[in-house]
Amino acid sequence: MSEMNQLTSINNELSNSLTESSTMSMGVWKRFRRHPGAIFGMIVLSILLVMALAAPLSPYDPEASEMTARYEAPSASHIMGTDALGRDLFTRILYGGRVSLTVGVLVVVLSIFIGVPVGALAGYYGGTVDSVLMRITDAFLSLPSFLVLILLSAILLEVKIPYLEGNSVLTISFVIGVFSWTTFARLVRAAFLGIRETEFVAASRALGGSDMRIMTRHILPNAIGPIIVEATLEFGYAIIEESGLSFLGFGIQPPTPSWGNLLSNAQDYFVKYPWLAIFPGLMIFLSIISINYIGDGLRDAFDPNKVLSKVGEV
Amino acid sequence: MTTYILRRLIQTAGLLFFLSVLLFALVNLAPGGPLSGQGQSRHIDPDKVELLKRQFGLDKPLPTQYLIWLVGNDWMQVDRDGDGVMDGYGTRLGILRGDFGFSFRTRQPVLTEIGQRLPNTIYLTVITILVAILVAIPIGIISAIRQYSAFDISVTTFSFAGQAIPEFWLGLILILVFYAWLKNPFTGDPLLPSGGMTSIDVSGFDLGDRIVHLILPVLTGALGWIAWYSRFLRSSMLDVIHQDYIRTARAKGLSNWSVLTKHGLRNALIPLVTLLALDLPYLFGGAIFVETLFAWPGMARLYYQAALERDYPVLMAVLIIGAASIILSNLLADILYAWLDPRIRYE
Amino acid sequence: MKRFSGKSLVVLVLLTAVLLSGCQPGADATPAAESSGIVIVIPEDPPSFNPIVADTGYDSLVMELVMLGLSDIDANGTVFPELAAELPTVENGGVVVDEDTGSMTVTWKMREDVQWADGTPVTADDVIFTYESIVDPEMGGWIPGIDYIDSVEKTGDYSFTINYASIYTGYLTQFGGEQVVIWPAHYCDASQGFAAWDCGRQPLSNGPYVLTEWVNGDHMTFTKNEKYFEEGKPSIEKITVRIIPDTSVRKTMLINGDADLNMWATEPMIAELEGEPNVKVSQSPENRWVVRVFFNLAANGTTDPVATPHPILSDLRVRQAIRAAIDVDTISKEFFLGYAKPAWTEFIREPYVCDIPRPEFDPEAAAALLDEAGWKDTDGDGVRECRGCETAEEGYVMEMDFHTYAEFGEPLELTQQYIAEQLGKLGMKLNLKVVEGSILWAASTDGGIEQSGNFDIDIWDDGYAGVDPTDFIYQYYAVASAEPDFGYNFMRWSNDEFEELLGGVYTLDETQRKQDFCKMAAILEEELPILPLFTAVNADAHSARLQNVQSSANDLVTWNAADWTLK
Repeated sequence: MSEMNQLTSINNELSNSLTESSTMSMGVWKRFRRHPGAIFGMIVLSILLVMALAAPLSPYDPEASEMTARYEAPSASHIMGTDALGRDLFTRILYGGRVSLTVGVLVVVLSIFIGVPVGALAGYYGGTVDSVLMRITDAFLSLPSFLVLILLSAILLEVKIPYLEGNSVLTISFVIGVFSWTTFARLVRAAFLGIRETEFVAASRALGGSDMRIMTRHILPNAIGPIIVEATLEFGYAIIEESGLSFLGFGIQPPTPSWGNLLSNAQDYFVKYPWLAIFPGLMIFLSIISINYIGDGLRDAFDPNKVLSKVGEV
Repeated sequence: MTTYILRRLIQTAGLLFFLSVLLFALVNLAPGGPLSGQGQSRHIDPDKVELLKRQFGLDKPLPTQYLIWLVGNDWMQVDRDGDGVMDGYGTRLGILRGDFGFSFRTRQPVLTEIGQRLPNTIYLTVITILVAILVAIPIGIISAIRQYSAFDISVTTFSFAGQAIPEFWLGLILILVFYAWLKNPFTGDPLLPSGGMTSIDVSGFDLGDRIVHLILPVLTGALGWIAWYSRFLRSSMLDVIHQDYIRTARAKGLSNWSVLTKHGLRNALIPLVTLLALDLPYLFGGAIFVETLFAWPGMARLYYQAALERDYPVLMAVLIIGAASIILSNLLADILYAWLDPRIRYE
Repeated sequence: MKRFSGKSLVVLVLLTAVLLSGCQPGADATPAAESSGIVIVIPEDPPSFNPIVADTGYDSLVMELVMLGLSDIDANGTVFPELAAELPTVENGGVVVDEDTGSMTVTWKMREDVQWADGTPVTADDVIFTYESIVDPEMGGWIPGIDYIDSVEKTGDYSFTINYASIYTGYLTQFGGEQVVIWPAHYCDASQGFAAWDCGRQPLSNGPYVLTEWVNGDHMTFTKNEKYFEEGKPSIEKITVRIIPDTSVRKTMLINGDADLNMWATEPMIAELEGEPNVKVSQSPENRWVVRVFFNLAANGTTDPVATPHPILSDLRVRQAIRAAIDVDTISKEFFLGYAKPAWTEFIREPYVCDIPRPEFDPEAAAALLDEAGWKDTDGDGVRECRGCETAEEGYVMEMDFHTYAEFGEPLELTQQYIAEQLGKLGMKLNLKVVEGSILWAASTDGGIEQSGNFDIDIWDDGYAGVDPTDFIYQYYAVASAEPDFGYNFMRWSNDEFEELLGGVYTLDETQRKQDFCKMAAILEEELPILPLFTAVNADAHSARLQNVQSSANDLVTWNAADWTLK
């Protein structure tokens, strides 16, 4: 306890129940189904996803300008109105949804990719490995992350690195992901600390199981619950962060639409054309609320004894 | 406990040193740099660039720049006029002696710049947090006691919604509604001011005017925190309510209310206090949206401006002060936790 | 405990909202600002009152309220004396040119009735103090043409001479205009250095207003200078400058009567404000900012157009095709709402206006030019490839980066997107990049995109301050300026005839200058290293009650603040 700050005490509560949740499977889904918020979240998010996937079915081109139809208020033909270039806002929002949701997924993948191995190695080997890795984690946690995010994305906007040029979807996901893996590392570490001394791990070791095999086959599955819950929350967190960066002008660059830059482009004229700001914001709101509900449902499902431990940091 | 705190402080110093090297490299390696045209002139004359480089100390190699930033240059010879001849000792003291350098933008000491802004950020942050807690505590308690009541369900729904609203979007909508659309029926003026800390024609301290200017920024900033704290408190209250000793106290015939206030609330508030200590620094970072939208003269906006103009000394100072405050508030949270909850002991 | 329903709360809030909006009065809302004072809104604090240090425009804005230079320029581009009693010219004997050495001496006579706000007269000593502070190698600053000056000599309490080593055509506004003012020798602490001295932030006024309060990040208050030399001016008692970062809030404050002046109005803003009874927009009679397309004649990532010519843009026909395919009228009408005026040459401002016929918008001709140059879409993917072109390998795809900068705002970004779309239809694929100006324009050593040659095409606005284009033309088109970080010729363009003409315009012979500038215009028209497209509007929005505001391309809107009145 002494070396970790209290932020993780919340996460620890989550992982304390790891041993119980080893018997997850059917029970999880059953409990999840009983959570009305989670079901609502699933439905709304699924609709958003399907809509984003079906974006090409829209009769309008997301990028082609239509000079005769600029700044049109919502109507039957353009249900969310049109933007500064006469493009159908609804279509842009659908395409923007693809981008925003992709950012969310990429951030989660990246932070699991970094955080899980870091946490696993630290928790499994302990000692020097543990303290070095945890020092690095501490360093990341000590940074005023959003301020550094602003700086990083301002820098990357111009650095020429292959695949990471000019604040593409990949760049922004990378920047956000670099600051999001620490929670995963701590969750997984806590899980490993708890389990590595148990008898069945000792038994597999005695049977000649390699460290790699023990880690991935025996210990990791026990940490799946908290990882999934955290991943859900991180997903929503990433969407909000991207839109925040876009609001400040450092997010994904036009003409690629994201919910964030659609909103920030609308900012200068939101008094006159409020729909341009209202709809993208509404989409962010809807997706985050459903993600949070899903996360809440998952937590309850994985950990029936806890009513609530943590909902995103935003 | 003292040894523990001491050890943590030493670790903090090491961590800050490491971070400062990292951040210094990050900030200074950024392309663009402070020596490019902006505002009026698209370009800056090459002759002027030479002069500015020397004045800003950017003509030296990066490690030397870092050294000067850290410990100053009053112990080394410097060439002030660029003629290649050393003219005497420098005047910088370095951050270890409290000199954060001067802002490239205003040529003012960075600490002066920050000193003008930090109190405003603290003022807004403290009020936001206070409002958030004062609203969240009763909400959290009532919804825990009346679990699954209509109140609980609407409050829980509200808190999910509150956490899902992007702060900058909420701010925009509030300005739209209360400044652009709604008018005061008696005077015809906008219902609420769009921003600033006070009205410009008010001299001295006017409580009413201050409050009017706080409504929208505090509402924007506090909503997410209200949601987060009330949910947190509700859950820790529920935890406590289900503890054995509460059941025992009830069984002994103590009234529901006194059990909850005497035992329940106290134990449920402990994690909240520590959480608060942890959240404080994050509030400064998040203040950037509120400060920008509501023209609040705070530190986050200073940072944003510095990021746009690559004002290295200001960026470095805010980042280092930010990191230090996060680390120290973590320490504070641990100490508070131990102090409030006698079961926790640090070796 | 009383049960409290969430529903009733919602109903209550809605009811209140409906009640309040129902009472919304007509447009005649009373301005909240004091009747004897006005409010100016700007997005960020001025760094100081000394624009030479950071040149953000906001420093010039407040500088014009409190400080005077030797001269200034009005909205029509005419130079007028401020601290000077008259403008020195060759005709009145103020300027003497030594034909043998090519040097020049300018004698200035100053007004004797101007005082600093503390009652001390403004004298030649202040001018010499200012000059010496600027040229101080350690803590000084830099102003255009400062290197041409050999010395400044005092010849009397109110007169002095400036000795130039060579002809400097911009001498009239060198110690005036929107940048340079005279600083008080008895008040400023020279040891603090010109760039950092306290009097740059707490100035001693000799202009129409005095700074009385500056709350960093919030507002600045200026009150009338009782010692101002112009009789009966200024008429407005108090000016408050408020810092409001958000664009739409500034605009709404103007509409609501909480602000009287919002500088640098963009075209969409002007259009939006047109119907507002409380708001007027002042436009400059001349426009400084020409939106233009720059071509990199060297390959992306290089700076030598001879060794590594640009595979696409080094062919003149491609540049001509791009020009023919840009629909300036539609851009002007749609994104600049008709306020942008077509411009196709550098020389559009008096006194150097050259007669170059306007190019036509003709996408078919553009396509023909590209075909002729050997760029054809043979694989049917909509993008042309090199098929017999002279500048690239066979099969090279016609795809390029297209940069602009973010700070200008929406109209320029929309223009960039629209041009890319138009050229895309023509079979030229452009990848859009929007970056901060500070990165686009930085020195190559700091990773600046243009100086390093890391671009293909970019679009943004520039133009010269004041009335003399000589330095501007030199910086953009001279051979010496093509060296990275030595100038702004990042097109890496060169032309021997042009270079010779450029050497000849450093003279005070106006007829000669006019002729030579127009010959240069003809050469630029032939070679198209830069495509001037149109001028962005130069305008400032103000409240209807504020009179005599005149937006100027040559200065900040506060240039004539002493003449402002309130209705």
